[in-house]
Amino acid sequence: MNHKPEHSGIKFSVTGLLMVVLLWSTTGNTAPITFNTALPVAQGEFLVREQLIVNQSGDDPDVANRDRTATAAVTALGYGISRKWTVFGILPYRDIDLDLEMAGQKIHRNNRGLGDASVFMRYTAYQDNKPGQTFRIAPFAGVKAPTGKDNTRDNLGTLPPPAQLGTGSWDYFAGVVTTWQTLRYQVDAQVSYRINNEANDFEAGDIARLDSSLQYRLWRTAAKGGIPDYLFGVLEANLIHQEKNRVNGNSNPNTNGTRLFLGPGIQYVTKRWIAETAIQVPVMQNLNGTALENKYIVRGGVRFNF
Amino acid sequence: MKKQILIGLFSLLFLQSVFAAGTHYEMRVDGLACPFCAYGIEKKLKAVEGTSDISVDLNKGLVKVNTVEGKELTEEQMKKLFNDAGFTYRSMKKTPL
Repeated sequence: MNHKPEHSGIKFSVTGLLMVVLLWSTTGNTAPITFNTALPVAQGEFLVREQLIVNQSGDDPDVANRDRTATAAVTALGYGISRKWTVFGILPYRDIDLDLEMAGQKIHRNNRGLGDASVFMRYTAYQDNKPGQTFRIAPFAGVKAPTGKDNTRDNLGTLPPPAQLGTGSWDYFAGVVTTWQTLRYQVDAQVSYRINNEANDFEAGDIARLDSSLQYRLWRTAAKGGIPDYLFGVLEANLIHQEKNRVNGNSNPNTNGTRLFLGPGIQYVTKRWIAETAIQVPVMQNLNGTALENKYIVRGGVRFNF
Repeated sequence: MKKQILIGLFSLLFLQSVFAAGTHYEMRVDGLACPFCAYGIEKKLKAVEGTSDISVDLNKGLVKVNTVEGKELTEEQMKKLFNDAGFTYRSMKKTPL
């Protein structure tokens, strides 16, 4: 059996989406689960975040009956350079399973290893601190480097872009995140844009994204030395629009589109660590042609102060 | 008898001032709203020589710390410390230990 990989990934709409899903799972203080926050990282201090993300796509409208499970263990590190500047680094370890049918045959393709690393800077442009609350606005900008392997092959040939660990391209992104935190609840919102570039004759579509998060304190422990543990209920929304992918300079009409996710979750917050989980469910998917739909994204993770 | 009691009380006061060790500080800090954020402050205060018994009262926005005798925390020093941690220092109240 030597099927030519006709479904060369260019029809899949999830490549860029997954990359952006990984990227925004950054670090921070008490913060949204699916994107970043404007809250401070103290000067000279580190935060680390580990998050496991399972991104399931399927319900293929195409005859190939594609099904894709992308799992990623994402490590994010934040460092407070000064009271205004924070630098973040992100490195995912990815495991991608791709199932599809070709000429009546079921095909399974898999790839695993380190993905593309990202680095970005955040600047606290505005902050208003009051007793028991803070409001902040922080623009950010960064780059994704092609550190992940982008030309993995199996016995069927080169894997399609959605099954590659990296994109092979240098991509750039920027946005603004704002946070309003009180003792009882926290609201975060973020707007961002990502420019994806071409590599290996493939260019994922650019991504515009609007995220919001509400974290409401449901319960607290007795204060230990003045600091109790908090349990937050979380509800997040992610509106993501991705332009069509391009192959050899030509736009692919069966890729990407607009998705809206709603993500309920919970977050347990202590002085030293945070544990959290959320499930992102697509409530609207306005996709191009036979672009593959997202079924769900599950996240679980921890953050540490050290 | 009255005289002995008075002498005793004066002696106690004298001894207390002789053995008074350090100062208790209670500082009002704005922007403190979550347990995870408080750790940065504790860590920074711990790094200041002569400090101990650091605690943060989130609900009241108070940071409390003791210093050993001869160690003074200044307003300028605390303003910078809290600023670097991302918060706003407002005021301090000092009490001898």
